[in-house]
Amino acid sequence: MFKPFLLILTALILFSCSEDKPNPQVENPAFYDFERKGQSTVSFSGQTTRILMATELLQSMLDFNMTSSQLLEMYTNESPTGQDVGPFGNPELNASSKSIKSKVAASIDFFSANTAESAAIKSDFENWIIAQVEEVYPNQNQLATQGVAGQIADGTSVRYVNGKGLEYDQAVGKGLIGALMVDQMLNNYLSPAVLDEANNRTLNDAQITEEGKRYTTMEHKWDEAYGYLFGLSTDASDPLSTLGEDNFLNKYLARVDNDSDFTGIAQEIFDAFKLGRAAIVAGDYHLRNAQAEIIRKKISELVAIRAVYYLQQGKSGIPTTGNNYGPMFHDLSEGFGFVYSLRFLRKPDSDDPYFTRTEVDGFINQLISGNGFWEISGETLDFISEEIASKFEFTVEQAGS
Amino acid sequence: MKKLIGLFILTVIISCQDTPTEVFTDSFDRKAMLVYWADHIIIPSFEAYDKSLDDLVVAKNIFIENEDIASFENLRVAYLSAYVSWQTVSMFDIGKAEEISLRNYTNIYPADENQIQSNIQGQNYDLDLPSNFDAQGFPALDYMLYGLAEDSNAEITLLKGKDFSNYLNELVDRLKSLNAEVLNDWKTNFRDSFINNDGSSATSSTDKLVNDFLFYYEKFLRAGKIGIPAGVFSGSALSNAVEAPYSEIYSKQLFFAGFETIQAFFKGVSFEGVQNGTSLEDYLIHVAEQNNTSSISDEILAQWALAEQKALALGDSFRNQVEVDNIKMLQTYDELQKAVILLKVDMLQALNIQVDFVDADGD
Repeated sequence: MFKPFLLILTALILFSCSEDKPNPQVENPAFYDFERKGQSTVSFSGQTTRILMATELLQSMLDFNMTSSQLLEMYTNESPTGQDVGPFGNPELNASSKSIKSKVAASIDFFSANTAESAAIKSDFENWIIAQVEEVYPNQNQLATQGVAGQIADGTSVRYVNGKGLEYDQAVGKGLIGALMVDQMLNNYLSPAVLDEANNRTLNDAQITEEGKRYTTMEHKWDEAYGYLFGLSTDASDPLSTLGEDNFLNKYLARVDNDSDFTGIAQEIFDAFKLGRAAIVAGDYHLRNAQAEIIRKKISELVAIRAVYYLQQGKSGIPTTGNNYGPMFHDLSEGFGFVYSLRFLRKPDSDDPYFTRTEVDGFINQLISGNGFWEISGETLDFISEEIASKFEFTVEQAGS
Repeated sequence: MKKLIGLFILTVIISCQDTPTEVFTDSFDRKAMLVYWADHIIIPSFEAYDKSLDDLVVAKNIFIENEDIASFENLRVAYLSAYVSWQTVSMFDIGKAEEISLRNYTNIYPADENQIQSNIQGQNYDLDLPSNFDAQGFPALDYMLYGLAEDSNAEITLLKGKDFSNYLNELVDRLKSLNAEVLNDWKTNFRDSFINNDGSSATSSTDKLVNDFLFYYEKFLRAGKIGIPAGVFSGSALSNAVEAPYSEIYSKQLFFAGFETIQAFFKGVSFEGVQNGTSLEDYLIHVAEQNNTSSISDEILAQWALAEQKALALGDSFRNQVEVDNIKMLQTYDELQKAVILLKVDMLQALNIQVDFVDADGD
């Protein structure tokens, strides 16, 4: 009986939304294709490089022949004294002057005046990398037990955990999703402080491109945000057709989009990126900022949903009998990294994060206090899940399945 | 306005939710089914498997003593018959079998040749470690008995080496001791708790075993034996991922041993094949009669018949089949897959059983 009313109401909403439609100058293309004089102006090679560096670092953390200095060089891409190093298997990455570490917790909005926290976060990653070598490597051929690092079966897979059940490689991998990709995207490149820096607007309005490049600075900054999500996509102009092409944000956008509770999130994010970029071309900065807020909201949701998902998976994996801890440890290790990433989420239409450092530290401590995953309770996991979900429009139940 | 819309949408969402399902009460005698499963299917299957392992141990001992072609061929025969017998118990991953990860230590393939070689050479290994799952069990035996060298004589020459024969010895004895533990537990202890756990909660015996049945069907039969080597999950065919690739010609036989076990369990055919007792088919018919609907069981059996038809067209060597005419593997997979939907959705719904496993994340 509500249906006709709903239809009218929906029509009303659609109609009222349409007043916000882009002004006629904005040409919103079907795909992320933007050209100047017949040539593409889209560029984000630096993001692709960093995603590839992170990929190789993660693989190497499970190569038990590595040393901690080799792994740390992959993180810093320089020696402790600042000399050039070649830690990667891929020579292009060695040739690059970029590094993972320099962009960890390094956004202009959250960390430019908060360098103490930035340094602490940067060294969290270093500590996990070192601990992998010092705690886990020596116990490669030992079964993990409470308080003792080693290997544990997760189905037919083998996982390598510390004494608390945490896989350091998962902490690093899922932690980088927040500390590198999300922070750079939401709090740096989509920020007016970066997009409108110096005379970017004037140059963009006049279509003055960077020296030797086909893009304006503002266009490029926007693309760099895009690159942290779609940097490894086969076809960067149509990335949704092949979603799931890295082990970071892209992969989990695919996962969340596959959950029927959240289907459509990938399209929403892509559409906002595309329209925002078109708005820059047209010089419509109001529209650009509106798209940035959509991206902030949706990317933040994505990470929070995934954090709750893994905590809930971990909860349902707590063995009731026997000692099949492997699957639960793996879920909670991924969850640990996503919880760590919460710190970098950005409330839309606000300068504030969703979670403070203190809040996130509180969650982390609850996860790994005492014997960590070996003795964590379902109540604790539910508590953290509820705390996370309460800041968003989804429920623990929706995220958890 | 916004608030009103929010409220309105909320109302719609709430009113759209499923009406609470009635508390499910079917009058089916779960306990009788559990007793039948335990006494006429599961325990006899483990006993027969145990017997085949006894034969394997004897054949292995004779070979190690004689190291000649006759005892080697005899060992290969015993190996095959134990491997076929294993297929009849693999799905019963419950109780002690689940606790000690019997299946992971018995049949994870493809075998890791490098790991096996390094275990043999290093002489310092721990077969309890998960990283050694794929360096033991039948896949490792397949490699040891068929994959070390070009022909039987060269195989025997290698196996005469102390390090090799020690490893062979340990692989076989370990299969026996692991299963002995499981069988003993069924006989002394687990049978009673299994048949008495006859409720309908997620941890009841029926719910758990039906999940084990499904999990086996989906992951080990459909994916492991057919889908993975056919490249369903990787995009390109992986002919080395077939079961028993070194002996080569037994993969079809092993597949059918598993497939027949699945069907017999569903229909309630006893291990000896002489008795037809109460099982999932009857349960589904019973529920359908109660609800005045038609049973899904006929559709499931018909779908399996189609899958069987496709599988019969496969060659004895799946490795060869994948390399020469993979489309037949894919067709078999497709028919097996269609039954997954019937089992996992329709059957579980009818029996009011929740799936207790999820598709692995793959990372």
